[in-house]
Formats: sequence, structure tokens, C-alpha cells
Amino acid sequence: MAKRGGMKAEKRNLVHLCIEAASESTETVEIWRRQRRTLEKMPPELAEALLRRLLRRRLVSPSLLEVFQHCIEEIDLKHENCVDAEWMAYLGAFRCLRSLNIADCRAINNSALWAITGMDTLKELDLSRCVKVTDVGIKHLLSIPNLEKLSVSETGVTGDGVSWLSSLKKLSKLDLGGIPVTDMALRSLQVLTKLEYLDLWGSKISNKVAAVLKKFPNLSFLNLAWTDVTTLPTLPSLTYLNMSNCTINSISGGDCGVKAPLKQLRVPGATFIDVHEVFSYIEASQLSFLDLSNSSLHNFQFLAHMDSLTHLNVSFSKIKDESIELIAHVGANLRNLNLSNTKVSSLGIGSLAGMVPNLEILSLSHTLVDDVALSYISTMPALRVLDLSNTNIKGFTYQIGHEQDEAFSLTALQSLNHLERLDLEGTHVKDEALQPLSGLQQLNTLSLKSDFITDMSLHAFSSLPKLRYLGIRGAVLTNAGLYLFNPPPMLETLDLRGCWLLTEDTISLFHENHPRIKVRHEFAQICSISENKCDRSSPQQGTPRTSQLKPKGKASSAPSVFRKEGFVDERLKYRREELLELRSAPLSLVSPHDCGVVLPKTLIE
Amino acid sequence: MKKEETVKLISAEGFEFVISMEAAMVSQTIRNMLTSPGSFAEREHGEVTFPEISTTILEKICQYFYWSLQFAKGKETEFHIEPELTLELMMAANYLHT
Repeated sequence: MAKRGGMKAEKRNLVHLCIEAASESTETVEIWRRQRRTLEKMPPELAEALLRRLLRRRLVSPSLLEVFQHCIEEIDLKHENCVDAEWMAYLGAFRCLRSLNIADCRAINNSALWAITGMDTLKELDLSRCVKVTDVGIKHLLSIPNLEKLSVSETGVTGDGVSWLSSLKKLSKLDLGGIPVTDMALRSLQVLTKLEYLDLWGSKISNKVAAVLKKFPNLSFLNLAWTDVTTLPTLPSLTYLNMSNCTINSISGGDCGVKAPLKQLRVPGATFIDVHEVFSYIEASQLSFLDLSNSSLHNFQFLAHMDSLTHLNVSFSKIKDESIELIAHVGANLRNLNLSNTKVSSLGIGSLAGMVPNLEILSLSHTLVDDVALSYISTMPALRVLDLSNTNIKGFTYQIGHEQDEAFSLTALQSLNHLERLDLEGTHVKDEALQPLSGLQQLNTLSLKSDFITDMSLHAFSSLPKLRYLGIRGAVLTNAGLYLFNPPPMLETLDLRGCWLLTEDTISLFHENHPRIKVRHEFAQICSISENKCDRSSPQQGTPRTSQLKPKGKASSAPSVFRKEGFVDERLKYRREELLELRSAPLSLVSPHDCGVVLPKTLIE
Repeated sequence: MKKEETVKLISAEGFEFVISMEAAMVSQTIRNMLTSPGSFAEREHGEVTFPEISTTILEKICQYFYWSLQFAKGKETEFHIEPELTLELMMAANYLHT
């Protein structure tokens, strides 16, 4: 919904038009739902697309599910709070249901699961975070003979329930994250020899049971984050391992000189007993993804020979400039490098110059880098995303020996032909120094936050052809400046939070003149509160959203700009005090209040 | 319009719709039928039979072809679909890759 406009080809697609027309309102549904024979022979992918659209439009009642019972193979009901025992009763009658996702459906309890007992078509079931499901619910699942993928993470299931799962012999994927799996329970699962994917984060298993993992000959994915496991045997088929926040003694037993062929290793926040010994038993040339963030490592010698590395995250670690050279030596394939929140300076970036031809994403946020680094960064031709927020970047350098000769350092970025996202928030860059950015033709996201920025910069960005998000926060923009601003053609979001000189009238006038652009500002929320209220008062009613989706381009449609964007700002519902409390609470606790509300991505981040 | 520039689409009940080649090409499936070396009959006679598509639906499909051409040229009008036709039209559209 949020992606309206631009999708011209999709808007013309007849299948798409039919789905839209069929899910127009409850009345339209009533007309076609009697065409049972047509529904019976409908190809699954069409029926599934239609059902997804109906769900999003909140037009599905449990009894409507009945008409889909012959044609649906996959159904994703994640986060649908209304899904309860009645829904499950209808779903249990689906003839060819292969995959059922009811994760985060809080109304699902043990008895609701009874409806799917014995479904021999079902191969995939996701019950994650259905907190009312306990060991009793597991009993209902044991009669689903062909189950291959099961997730019961963060449910009320305990060790006993887990041990019963050993009768589901076809299981290849088992997610037991966040439930108290004991050593004994895991031991009883060793008959599941088809297991390829096992998630045990936060479980109670210990080193004693680690040997059991050898009984799974096909195990390729293993998550042991937040457990007491410190020592792992050599697992010859393991390619993904997560041991974040564990104390790591050994990842591979090192028996018979066999090294672990890991491709992905995620160990953020882990403590190593002897990091060099741990890595000496890992096949360095195989590893492509390494996350060492939040670790207390000083010495990164083990990075040598990791020639396949594509992703490296050493943020919040103690890495220093000297170690960057080690990264440079294995930089040929590197695509994503995160050095944020470290003591790395421009000197370190210098050793990367010319050594990372494939680097696409580089984060240097909260590091000591300054303008000198920009010239090194300009030698990274594939760069798409560059985060330089909260660094010492000023936007100009002095030529050595010529104190008066200022050169704008951001000019160096103009050689990056693929740069799409640039973050310069919290730097000391001033207006003149930002001018070179107006030459970045591919840029779609630009984030700035500084009290040195004025109207001048705002106008400089008018010419960026692909810019979709522009953030100029905390700047000294004036009413006149915003009034005269000619937004770039593709602009979707203008973030002006903290621009304290702007008045409410100017913000709402901008709304009227540019109804397609979403403005974020303290006053923009006030303007839209009344509309949001009336929008929320009728959530059940199938408001004719399709007509809203069509860009009208008339000034009269301006006041509804927020509703048209298909989201409601969560902050509007709360008073300031409540908001401050919520800020520290995890988002997952906030959102379930009304599942129809979708936060914009940037807000969640 | 010359005969070479038109295509005849025949419904399940035998109704014939003569439309321009350009309009018919909106459908990827018809385009393949008329251009691929395997489908000799279709290419030779400029005729395609759809034993699975009823006359009502095929008529709507033809209307859609012309609407789609207009839309591509920038005339962004609404294409109305009667609720009772949505399901069958959807399946036909899926088959025709349009």
C-alpha cells in the first residue's frame, strides 16, 4: 500500500486489477463467494494472492475461509490477532494446506490446535510466540505425520513437550528458540536424523549435551545464542553458527585435523577463551559472514586468510587502525563492512583504499574519521550505502601548506557512481560544503542533522533526480525557505524534525502544495491528529481505500495526506510522558494493540 | 485495417472477436502463440481458440487490451470490473499473462 505510484506496470496488470476489484468491499465478496466451482479450480498462487489481499483489507471472516478450502496451499496469518479456534476449525478442513503460519496470533491456544490434528498435507507450521500454546498443544501436533518444519519459539512449551517431538521423524527444521529446552529433552531428539536447522537460543542446554549435536548428520544451521554452551564438537555439515553472547572455548573439536566448514559465524557479544585457537579450527577460506560486534577482542590476526569474506561486522569492538590492514588484505570480496562505534580513524580507512573493489555498504558511524577519509572512500567504486553520521567530518580540507586554500572534501564522493544512501547526521558540515552532494545522481536517501544547515542546502537538493528521502533535522530552515523549496521529483519523505523556526502554517501549506510528500515535523503531527482520529474510529468498515490510492493531485485532497500514506504515527496516541516510557520498551510490546497500524520503516529503526 | 494486422480470438462457445494485433500482443501468451515457431496454425491464420474462456470473459479481456494500450500512452482511466466477473477474469488473465 505504501508503495503507490511508480508501480505503473503493476497497476495495469489484469490479475492485479481483478484482485483489487474482488476485495473492494464486503458486498463484492458476497457476490463472488457463491461461485464455488470457479474457486475450486483456481490455481493456488492466485487464490493465495486474493486471500492475502482480503486479509489486508480485513474482509476475511472465518466462514469465508471455507470457499478457499480446495485451493490454498500456503497461508500466512502472522500477527493476525483475530485468528482463534474458529479460524482454526476452518483451516483444519483445507484439503491441500502445506504451510500454515500463525506466528504471533495471540488468541491461539492448545485447544485451537486440535483442529489441525492429523492433517497429512501439512509440512510447515509456525507457532512462534503463540504464548498460550503449551506442552498439551504439542500433543495435538504429534498426529501431523508429514511435518517437516516446525517453529514453537517463545511459546509456553517446556522440555517435556520438546522431547515428545521426537516422534515427528520427518522434521528437518526445528525452531525451539526462547523455550527452556533441557539437556534431557535435546537428548531425546537425537532420533531426528533429518534435522538440518536447529534453533536453541536461550535454552538451558549445557556442554554435556553438545555431543548429541553430532547425531544430526545433516545439521547445517545451529543457533546457540545466550546458552551456556562453550565447546562444540566438529559438525561436518554445519555452515551457519550463531553463538552470540556465549563464552566460547572451542567451536570445533579439532579432532583429526578436520576444520569446521562454516560459512556464517555470528558471535556478537561473545567472550573468547582463546580467540586464535578457536579460529584455528575453522576453515578460514570458507567463511563469508562474520559478526564480531560487541566483542572485547583486541587482536584480529585471525582475519588473515579469510579470503571469501563478504560481510564483516566489528562494530562496538576494540578494533584499531592497525588491524584495518588485516581487513584490507582479505578485502577483495568484501561487500558489507561495519566499523561503527570503534576507535577507527582516517588513517585506518587509508589502508582500505583501493583494496575493497566490491564494497557496497560501509558504516563508519561514531568513529574518529574526518575529511581525509573521504578521499580514501572515493576509491571504493561499488559503494551504495555510506554512513558517516556522528564523525568528525567537516566538509572541507586544507591543502597542506596553504591554510587559506579550502577544498570541499565531499566533492570526492562524486566519483561514487552507485551511491544511493548517505548519512551525515551529527557532523559539522555547513551549507557550502554540502553543495557537491547535488551532483550525486543515484542518491535516494540523504540524512542530515546539524544546526549549521540553512535554507541554502534545502534548495541545493532540489535537483537530485532519484531522491526519495531527505532528512534535514535540527536545521535553521525558515518558513520562507520551505515555501520556496521545489522538492525533487521522486521525493516521498521530508524529515524536518527539530527545525524549530518552522511554523505550523508553513508545514500545513507545504502539505497542501505537495500532497504526495510525507512531512515529518513536530507540527506535522498536530495537523493530522484530527484526521487520524476519524480514520481509527471506523477500522472495521471497508473504507474505499482503492479510491484513495489513486493520486488525485488536487489541492482539495491535501488534508488526507497522512491517511493516504497508509500509516498512522504511533506517537499520536500517547501523551508525552507515556511516549517517553514507551521509548525504552521494546517495540513488540507496543504494536500488537492494533494490528492494522503499520509503522513507517524509518520509525521502527 | 488490413487482415494481417488483426487477430481472431475465439471463445469457448465459438464467438469470434477480431481485434488489432497490437492489442492482442498485450497478452504475453498470445504474443508467444503468434510468434513462436511451434504454433503454426495460429501464425498462419491469425486465429487463437480458447476452449477454457467464456464469451463474457473474452469480451472483457479484449476491452482490457485496448484499455491497457491507452493506459500505457498516458490516458489513466479506471478499468471497471464487475464483481461477478472477478474470479473468472482473474484466472483467464493469469493464463494469458496479462
